[in-house]
Amino acid sequence: MSLTGYVVRRLLQLVPIVLGVTVLVFFLIHLVPGDPARTILGNHATPAKVALLHREWGLDKPLPVQYWRFLHRMARGDLGSSLFYSVPAGRLVVQRLPPTLWLIGLGTFLSVLIAVPLAALAATKRDRLPDQVVRAVPLVGLGFPPFWLGIMLLLAFALHLGRGFPVGGYGAGPLGHLHSMFLPSLTVALAIAPILVRSLRASLLEVFESDYVTTARSKGLPERRVLVRHALRNAVISTVSVLGVNIGFLVGGTLVIEQVYALPGIGQLMINSIFQRDFPVVQAVTLVFAIMVVLVYLLTDIVHALLDPRVRFD
Amino acid sequence: MHPRRRAFAFLATAAAVAATGTVASLAAQSSPRSPSAATPKRGGHITIARIEDSTSFDKTNVFQNESIWIAEQINESLYEAGNDGKTLKPWLATAYTKSKDGKTYTFKLRKGVKFSNGKPMTSADVKFSIDDARKQAKGWGYLDAAIKSITAPNPSTVVFHLKFQWAPFVADMALFANGIIPKNFAGQSRAAFYKHPVGTGPFMWDKRVVGQSVSLKRNPFYWQKGKPYLDGVTWTFVTDENTRELQLRGGQIQVDEFPPFNSIDKLKKTSGVTMSLFPSTRTDYLDMNELYPPLKDVHVRRAISYAIDRAAIVKSVLFGYGTPANSQLPPQVPYYDKNAGGLQYDLAKAKAEMAKSKFPKGFKVQMLVGSGAQVENTIGQILQSALKQLGITVKFKTEDTSTEFNDIQSNKYQLGFSYWTMDIADPDELVTFALDPKGGAFSFYTHYNNPTVTALSHQAQREVNPVKRAALYAKVQRIAASQANLGYLYYSPYRWAYTSKLHGFFVQPLGNYHLEDAWLD
Repeated sequence: MSLTGYVVRRLLQLVPIVLGVTVLVFFLIHLVPGDPARTILGNHATPAKVALLHREWGLDKPLPVQYWRFLHRMARGDLGSSLFYSVPAGRLVVQRLPPTLWLIGLGTFLSVLIAVPLAALAATKRDRLPDQVVRAVPLVGLGFPPFWLGIMLLLAFALHLGRGFPVGGYGAGPLGHLHSMFLPSLTVALAIAPILVRSLRASLLEVFESDYVTTARSKGLPERRVLVRHALRNAVISTVSVLGVNIGFLVGGTLVIEQVYALPGIGQLMINSIFQRDFPVVQAVTLVFAIMVVLVYLLTDIVHALLDPRVRFD
Repeated sequence: MHPRRRAFAFLATAAAVAATGTVASLAAQSSPRSPSAATPKRGGHITIARIEDSTSFDKTNVFQNESIWIAEQINESLYEAGNDGKTLKPWLATAYTKSKDGKTYTFKLRKGVKFSNGKPMTSADVKFSIDDARKQAKGWGYLDAAIKSITAPNPSTVVFHLKFQWAPFVADMALFANGIIPKNFAGQSRAAFYKHPVGTGPFMWDKRVVGQSVSLKRNPFYWQKGKPYLDGVTWTFVTDENTRELQLRGGQIQVDEFPPFNSIDKLKKTSGVTMSLFPSTRTDYLDMNELYPPLKDVHVRRAISYAIDRAAIVKSVLFGYGTPANSQLPPQVPYYDKNAGGLQYDLAKAKAEMAKSKFPKGFKVQMLVGSGAQVENTIGQILQSALKQLGITVKFKTEDTSTEFNDIQSNKYQLGFSYWTMDIADPDELVTFALDPKGGAFSFYTHYNNPTVTALSHQAQREVNPVKRAALYAKVQRIAASQANLGYLYYSPYRWAYTSKLHGFFVQPLGNYHLEDAWLD
């Protein structure tokens, strides 16, 4: 099977996955205690006002009827309206997607930028001081909660040491976004990089024992070329899978970073809409998460295949 | 400072932040700023960071403060509450007269008032606005229930015909929901109008990014000449309190809404920051659901009230910035009775009450607390320890706040927590809500039912003589306090931290603020 055929097949698999996720989430969120009408009305909720809102939102109908209406709307591309903002839920999600995508994208890029040189250093200086330091220090980073790390980075680089970065926010324009997203993405990267370092280091050590690396060395190739052209290219294959899994967790896992850095991403949107019981938004966000996770794993598989010519698509 | 020393200082303070979440700073400013004697300067833009995003600007149907306080910059009422939270002052109206039978109010409108679209405000707009507000069955319409009809005999006069004498009427007219909008929503649909509302207020709609920010800009037609001083205001949404504080210190925002109590001392000492505590109408309560038999016993409720160590709670939860509550009403509300007699901490009396009750040996009770709600959890632990001495075993049930809210309102709780802040400069709304079982909320969901109190509160609603009304509300407060309808916990101030360059920023006891008076250095 060609790459195109493989991609199409995987994309088609999205449909039952997304359908299954929406069914599960729909019933879960409706069955969990809590009422958006009471949340909106606050202390002023009376049975009469609650009933009025339920009628307005169609929440007075039996659950299967509500689900059927939801499916019917979804088939037309309508994800419903936010009960709180009275704007289309789909539009709300699309509006809030870019900061999260920036966080995931730039965070992944920075994590690779940090992990690859460190792993290479550790593997080439096995058991010597650089290796010890590289193996120990990232573990410390793993132990720091992202919340605390985020605040520390803000204090350091946004407030004390030169005020080079804004204190949270998303900024305006591509350069503004890049400037604002650097520290949050670094926080993400510092959380992922230790795992990548360890994985890549282990792979490199294994690859260094391979026949083709021994051959490359015996041919007199400079060590740097052996590392970059031969060892890294092969060692990174398994690390791509590790990276893919971590990115999958990042989807929906950026909430804490978004809160610390006041980023208007979908992680924040998801948690707020769950607390508020804003059903259409919860469903819309979950839909997007499901699609994103599937796409991330698909991308991981494609990159894997591109790196390793032995991988076949059938 | 030498870079290495600076790095070391940073690391040292970073360790302090890890332990306390704070960083020490410099000079002190703390008390609420009364209007500055300096000459206001025109220009500048401020950003206010708050903990929640606004949901809607339909002032007739929204109950969320984060929406209301912005809507109030756009829409104004005929009368407004004064800075003391008790008096009412003319605003879009200059005066009113009342008929002898107290059922007809005639308001004279202020001349020269225009909407931000340049059109003059007339009585037709007033009639439309309040007729629309009182139709909102799922919103604030209930506060206008006394109105029978509204007429506009000429463009500068509005006449309200009431069904009966209604003492809180002018206070109800001062409610933001009764703010004046253009007739017929300025030719738009209701939904479209409230996406970017038009009003007579100091600021007009600029833009909104849902989930991020709302921006207003100066209304060039504002009736108070020379105001507002600011060019514009932006409200952002920053849930994390540490981030809000860092943004304030970094100059990214000018106002931090509701910094936590544990940061007040630190902010008072932060250079360039004013930490203000404004007297508020907020009162926190322990709800005792009388549908649970032990809590129906008045002696049990009195015992629990006596067992609440309010001073300890104020110290541990509010870090000393609050006062024990002694009445259903807070001091900033008209007719608050300082001698209401809300039961204060006395363990001996608590035990004596339990001995008189039907449950002298105690009982088990469940206390609902919000997950992650630090304040409720702290108070809960203090209460659990105190009530144990009365033989009352408290078991916590932790729920997320939406479920907690739902369960309290659905009577699926025994002990719980709630609070109230006033919406009008009159006790009627709270008294009805908290003490009248048919007031819409089953007496604050406690099912407290004292026909004498209910009758007194109804009488007070119709009593227009302030002296007699004060006496009625005094009786209401004293009876309710003696029966411990709720456990009155504490009164706490509104906390606002803002740049020292901002002047004229004042938060009223009702929680709202008039930004037309604010200006930047």
